[in-house]
Amino acid sequence: MSFKKELFKYIFSRLALLPIMLWIISSLVFILLRIAPGDPVDAILGTRANEFARESLRVKLGLDKPLINQYFEYLNQLVHGNLGISLNTEEPVKVIISKALPASLELVIFSILIASIVGYLIGFLGAVKPEGRIDFWGRIFGIGTYALPPFWAAMLIQIIFAVLLGWLPIGGRLPPGAIPPPPITGFLLLDSILDKNIEIIFSSIKHLILPSVTLGVLLSGIFSRALKLNLEEVLKKDYIEAAKSRGINKSRILVKHALPNTLLPILTITGLTISSLIGGALLIEITFSWPGIALGLQEAINQRDYPVVQGIVVIISSLVVMISVGIDIAIAYIDPRVSY
Amino acid sequence: MLKLNHIKNILKVSGILLVLLQLSCVQYKKRENIIVASSGKIESLDPAQANTLRTLQILSALGDTLYKINKEGNLSPSLAIGLPKVSNNGLLIDIPLRENIYFHDGIIFNAQAMKFSLDRFMEIGTLKYLLNDKIESIEAKDEFLLRIKLKKPSSSIKSLLTSVNLTPVSPNSYSDYKDKFNNKNFIGTGPYFLESFSSSQQVIKPFKKYWGKEPLNKGIDFINYNNSSTLFGAIKTNQVDVLISNSIDDMHRLSLNNMVNKDKLNSGEGAPTSIGYITFKSNDLPLSNQKLRKALAYTIDRNLISQRVSFGTREPLYSIAPPQFYKEEFSPWPSYEPNLARILLKKEGYCESNILKIPLTFRSTVPADKNLALIWQEQIKRDLSDCIEITLNGVESTTVYDQLSKGSFEAVILDWTGDFSDPIAYLAPLLSCTQIKDNTCLKGEAVFSGSFWGDKKVKALLEKSEELEGENRLNALIEIEQLADKGSAYLPVWLVRPKAWSLKDISQPEFSSDGLIILKNLKRD
Repeated sequence: MSFKKELFKYIFSRLALLPIMLWIISSLVFILLRIAPGDPVDAILGTRANEFARESLRVKLGLDKPLINQYFEYLNQLVHGNLGISLNTEEPVKVIISKALPASLELVIFSILIASIVGYLIGFLGAVKPEGRIDFWGRIFGIGTYALPPFWAAMLIQIIFAVLLGWLPIGGRLPPGAIPPPPITGFLLLDSILDKNIEIIFSSIKHLILPSVTLGVLLSGIFSRALKLNLEEVLKKDYIEAAKSRGINKSRILVKHALPNTLLPILTITGLTISSLIGGALLIEITFSWPGIALGLQEAINQRDYPVVQGIVVIISSLVVMISVGIDIAIAYIDPRVSY
Repeated sequence: MLKLNHIKNILKVSGILLVLLQLSCVQYKKRENIIVASSGKIESLDPAQANTLRTLQILSALGDTLYKINKEGNLSPSLAIGLPKVSNNGLLIDIPLRENIYFHDGIIFNAQAMKFSLDRFMEIGTLKYLLNDKIESIEAKDEFLLRIKLKKPSSSIKSLLTSVNLTPVSPNSYSDYKDKFNNKNFIGTGPYFLESFSSSQQVIKPFKKYWGKEPLNKGIDFINYNNSSTLFGAIKTNQVDVLISNSIDDMHRLSLNNMVNKDKLNSGEGAPTSIGYITFKSNDLPLSNQKLRKALAYTIDRNLISQRVSFGTREPLYSIAPPQFYKEEFSPWPSYEPNLARILLKKEGYCESNILKIPLTFRSTVPADKNLALIWQEQIKRDLSDCIEITLNGVESTTVYDQLSKGSFEAVILDWTGDFSDPIAYLAPLLSCTQIKDNTCLKGEAVFSGSFWGDKKVKALLEKSEELEGENRLNALIEIEQLADKGSAYLPVWLVRPKAWSLKDISQPEFSSDGLIILKNLKRD
């Protein structure tokens, strides 16, 4: 079988597994949410509502039905692409996610960009001159940023750059009173560019700087260590020695021969980081009041808003699967040795 | 050389970017609207669903209520033109309405509109049980005369009519929302109309056809930040004009108050609306023994706790309802007397070798509760370590609320804000009980509050107070407080005053009696 056919078969099998995986995940979330103590009726009515009011709301929300009926109803909706209605706001879960997800993705994309530029640059320079000054400080930077608790680093950065120096806004996506551009993509920066609104473009960039730099710097430590270690390993290989002995210059050896061979693990790490960040940048979102999906998920869990929690988890899981499939495809293209 | 050129180019680009970023910042400093910040998103602007302080705050500016409570604590007409007239049997209430009032959609306000709004609330309101338990029906007797028919006499209904949740909405704009929430819009009669809405930011502008005193500002932008340090930083760096105190940590409150003392900020505070208390489960050993509960009431040093937890910003509380309702000094609960506690405990066979062990639950998501628990625990270790031992147990808020009525907690720290400005809004949710057996509440609010404490005399007095007015009613409520102290199923700890801070070029925030800022009085100098 040809490589392309094998790859196609692999992608198809991964995508075919997606519904099964989503079914398992959504069923687990469904069960865990119902097992967890706490009642959405309490979250909506407060604890003082009388039994009649509580029971009427329970009927209205469909929570009076047997659990098995609720489960099949939920699965039926899911199969038809309907994520349900929020118990708390009666807003379709799709709408809630479509508002919050682009904010998270925007933050993740910029953070990954910053982490890649800073982290890989430090890692690369460290590997090129091992035991040099850059390598030494790069190691300290890598370990330091990895060890820093995200909430503490975020608060510190916020206090220094927003409160003490006053250079950047303290939180949110836009300044108070600013009218956001019409939501075309949901990505504020992109929408403001499409709207050709210069003021909003710069405002959204300003608001993006602190959270994305914080997240990016915190991640760059892992990236720099990963690249450095892999590059060092590759630089010890026989084919690098052979290239050196053939008189090829150092920068060409690094760029043409060594770097492409370190890309595989780097790509995997970057992909996995993106996946974990989509729903996992909670502390950064809380600190900078960034209205992303992690914040939405946390609020929905607190309110026991079952459909919203289930919907967010399903969407995040799908994204994670799709990203990992994307990485596998990229790896297969980069490295012909990879077989499926 | 090449490297130097690269660095120069990078510096140039960075310089241009910084200038542009600063320029965009300068433009926003010339703001017309007053920016009011607080925590928590607004998911719905429907008064039938509103239950957070932030939502009530914005609704109080977008709508009017039939009555307000004035500074003297008396009912004063707002959309009504006179005080409610109660029939001799106490079952009919006639409310004359003000004329020439318009909704933001241009529709005239009348008795039909008020009936529509109240009926709608009784149909879909999340707090509908507050009205449904009392009201039989609502009738528009005349174009500007509303009649409320009660199921039984109720003196608290008048205070209930001051609730922001009962602000009228336009029947025209809400015709499609008779039986469902209108989350993203609000059409009322208030001094402001809603210009734009998103869950994180709302903009309101003065309503030109408003019947009352016009707002002193050109509009308000409400924004939310998720945490206390961001809110604190936002006012410190002038990024917001006014900061509302909900969810501001005690440490940040102290810093803000220090800034007020140094004349860097203005501040205003309202009458206390929120109480912090401890509930003891009274239907199970060991705390089914009233004397042990009484002994615990003597062990808490509220002054010390207030100082340590909130640097004195939370006032010690010795009654269930905030004391301002009683119009004179009233502190039924005992103050800190560890010796009396020891005597009581010894009489019950504790101290020396037998230590009373109490697991104290606090909501792990509320920092002040955790600090209260820790300090009380240490205080008991210091004063009564041979008699009582407190073990702490942090539980997530939603789980605490779910488990309260299941009797899971021996002692639990909670708080409560009355749904309307009346002592009954504090007493009934903790003390009312419909089925009592041997001082144990089997059915009623006391079950949901986790105390399971029932007292037939309290039940009778709560019912009687609904038929009484004025001084007689107040005396009945005072007697209820005294009986509750005797029962000692609750231990009031502190009072929280709503507070707001404003920049120096903004006027001092003023509060209404229900603990909400009067937004139309905010003025930029």
